[in-house]
Amino acid sequence: MQRSSEADAASAAAETCYHCGETVPAGTDFYIDIAGQSRPMCCPGCRAVAGLIAANGLESFYQRRTAYNEQPPDHQTGNHDRYIIYDDAELAATFCETDAGGTVTARLLLGGMTCAACTWLIEQTLSKSAGVIRASVNLQQSRLDIEFDPRELRLSEIFSRVDDLGYQPRPFQASTQHRQMQDEYRTDLRRLGVAGFGMMQVGMFAIALHAGDIQGIEARYQGLLRGFSLLVASFVVLYSARPFFTTAWRHLRRGVLVMDLPVALAIGLAWLASAWATVTGTGQVYFDSVVMFTFFLLLGRFLERRVRQRHALTWFNAENTLPDAVTIRRDNRWETVPRMQLEKGHRVLVRAGETIPADAEIIEGASAVREDTFNGEHLPRAVTCGDTVYAGTVNVESALETHVLGSYRDSRLAALQRSVEIAQTEKPRLARLADRIASWFVGGILLVTAATALVWSQVEPERAFWITLSVLVISCPCALALATPAALTSAASALRRSGVIVRGENALEALARATHMIFDKTGTLTEGTLCIAEIDRLGAPLQEDLLALGAALQHYSTHPVAKAFSDIDGASGFERVKYHVGAGLEGCREGRLYRMGSESFCRQLAPDLPPRPETEFYWIALCREGEALAWIGLTDSLRREASTVVDGFRRAGLQVELLTGDSSPQALALARTLQIERVERGAQPQQKMAHVRDLQAAGHVVGMVGDGLNDAPVLSLADASFAVAGATDLARTQADFVIIGGDLEAITGTWAKSRQCRRVILQNFAWALGYNTCAIPLAAMGYIPPWAAAIGMSLSSLLVVLNSLRLNRPPRT
Amino acid sequence: MDSLYLLIPIALVFVALGIKLLLWAIDDGQYDDLDKEAWRILADEDVAEPDARAEPPEAPAGKKP
Repeated sequence: MQRSSEADAASAAAETCYHCGETVPAGTDFYIDIAGQSRPMCCPGCRAVAGLIAANGLESFYQRRTAYNEQPPDHQTGNHDRYIIYDDAELAATFCETDAGGTVTARLLLGGMTCAACTWLIEQTLSKSAGVIRASVNLQQSRLDIEFDPRELRLSEIFSRVDDLGYQPRPFQASTQHRQMQDEYRTDLRRLGVAGFGMMQVGMFAIALHAGDIQGIEARYQGLLRGFSLLVASFVVLYSARPFFTTAWRHLRRGVLVMDLPVALAIGLAWLASAWATVTGTGQVYFDSVVMFTFFLLLGRFLERRVRQRHALTWFNAENTLPDAVTIRRDNRWETVPRMQLEKGHRVLVRAGETIPADAEIIEGASAVREDTFNGEHLPRAVTCGDTVYAGTVNVESALETHVLGSYRDSRLAALQRSVEIAQTEKPRLARLADRIASWFVGGILLVTAATALVWSQVEPERAFWITLSVLVISCPCALALATPAALTSAASALRRSGVIVRGENALEALARATHMIFDKTGTLTEGTLCIAEIDRLGAPLQEDLLALGAALQHYSTHPVAKAFSDIDGASGFERVKYHVGAGLEGCREGRLYRMGSESFCRQLAPDLPPRPETEFYWIALCREGEALAWIGLTDSLRREASTVVDGFRRAGLQVELLTGDSSPQALALARTLQIERVERGAQPQQKMAHVRDLQAAGHVVGMVGDGLNDAPVLSLADASFAVAGATDLARTQADFVIIGGDLEAITGTWAKSRQCRRVILQNFAWALGYNTCAIPLAAMGYIPPWAAAIGMSLSSLLVVLNSLRLNRPPRT
Repeated sequence: MDSLYLLIPIALVFVALGIKLLLWAIDDGQYDDLDKEAWRILADEDVAEPDARAEPPEAPAGKKP
């Protein structure tokens, strides 16, 4: 068993796309020479991008990168017309600045950035283009700042060039949230820097003072060194350590004891006592412990936050999925205008393949629209005159003329975006392990301290204060406070290397405690594209001939069904192929009329067509004049590793559920295959949210896996959520974990890592508490001098960090 | 040892200067993208290489079918 799976992995590895790392589909043959070697490619999109990179002499990109690229979306390759709209001055002004000399600085948001080498590739390619003065990519924000001369280069050309490299450019609109994130980042860094400088300086004084304790030191020099230590340490405490005090105070007022409280107490009291000792010239100073403690804690938090904020496209919203350009009827002709100018009552033309820009009513034409935005399904809904279509859905079959019903704010898509925002605020904040431990740790410490003070004030009143203080410092919760951030950072960077981005704040902790794992169906457990599952022959022709006939007809169609046939060579000789909207295809071959499509459509031609088979597939009929040929059953095939993943969770004792927007019986069939007991189908985004809310109200911790725009609210609400490969941008921004590669097993890997992470955190706590139980009695008896307290604290923290680093290995799968 | 009275304040002036410089660099945005800069310093000398070499212009799409 073990061996065969290894062999599978090895053969799969031999066939992965050199560009994006996806498995190369069987039967395709895309190769390209890169740096003298022939490399396999999985799709024309990847081949075009890799070819361009090679042609520009930038092959070394492939040696530099540390992660696979993302697969470029296939529907867009080579289509650059949609960028022409950005040459419109009014639209461009929203994300460009023009300086006095006529050069323009544009800011673009880039989708698909995976590692630092991507920034190099984009910068190199763009700065070679004529007219570009400066191009600089910010990886952390996925943002491109480009300065160019508009007389030599048009904005749309920059968009096209970035698109050619396989990244998805969008205008960058700075939001307040984004600015706030940047401000917080800089403030954190400033605090950390100041604490670092302070630590070095106070540390130097401290060495002199400790040496003086041992060898003897003149009182005036001791006073001098202490005085300067006080100066520097005060600055660090007041400036760098401020967030600890404010957080502790904020929670204390609400009656909650958090980790920041013992931290704030230790820093505050140690500083206060040391200051007192300095002024009166008695006792001990702990300035070095104070600043070192501040620095290490800030460092831990800074690293943790940085890991989390990478790839945080939080300023992305649903409106970004709408096209920037729309075609409207004005003065009796069609005109392309920016979508911003779209108003209620406008007559809009939506061509096949385009996204519908606003909620609208159809006034001319009939087509089918793919509403995966709202139900997650890829099979379209047939629409005709008088029907309402919604912003964000895709017109699949033929052009529609529509009448705009309202602004974006009133659209169904905006409502979806609003439920995402509501979900964000509703997301339950699971108490962090650290904070739960902190609440009784603080209580314990305060009790011990009080007891020490009481006892010593009876025994030896003049030493009571200093011994009480040394208890507080030795109990210094540095190791305790570092236990969580160190482990989380370490686990997150290991996951990052195995292709999972960790975004959520408490996601790893929440995932480790998950009781329910809920999967979306289409695109998550399944591939999201149809393929042929079964052929029911009714007439004489052989199966291969039937397929060839079907494929020949389907090659004329853009309907998702046609994709199932795209790999099959069609029979030749079809002519006058016509597409009947909402019914099917019709064509003539060797003098006979053929039809393929819905039951009623085919029965007109072949009355002997039997009713569709019982099996739960998506059935289409094929017939010719007077003769039924076949029923072809299509299905959305299961991902290869789906059952392993579902099994894994079930064996681990989690409740696995299927929650899908698909209302067809296929959902039930799939659940049966995967042995999932609880299924909820036909669920709208709001119903999905209600379901998760109910589970959470019952005290369960819910994990959720999804991909579509319609999953975004529920991903945002769940305690720990995954967005799988190919997920929409909005789903990605709401998920706690984003899986870059196509492998679902990364979910199990992440879960295993989260459990391991939880174990390490517990070990860290065990160590920190154990250390305290040993050290505090010694301190309480007055045996520990300040320098030993400082060393003990540092060693204890170091051990916690080293233990956490064990997590920094790729997850076991 | 009396020189300490002079030397320590001088050291502190340097520390203040160092902090001032750091804060300026942070506000200037020089630390905004640590990942890229960490990587770029290693990449820079190679960048010229593909440029310097005579580039055989090649059709972008793959040749093999």
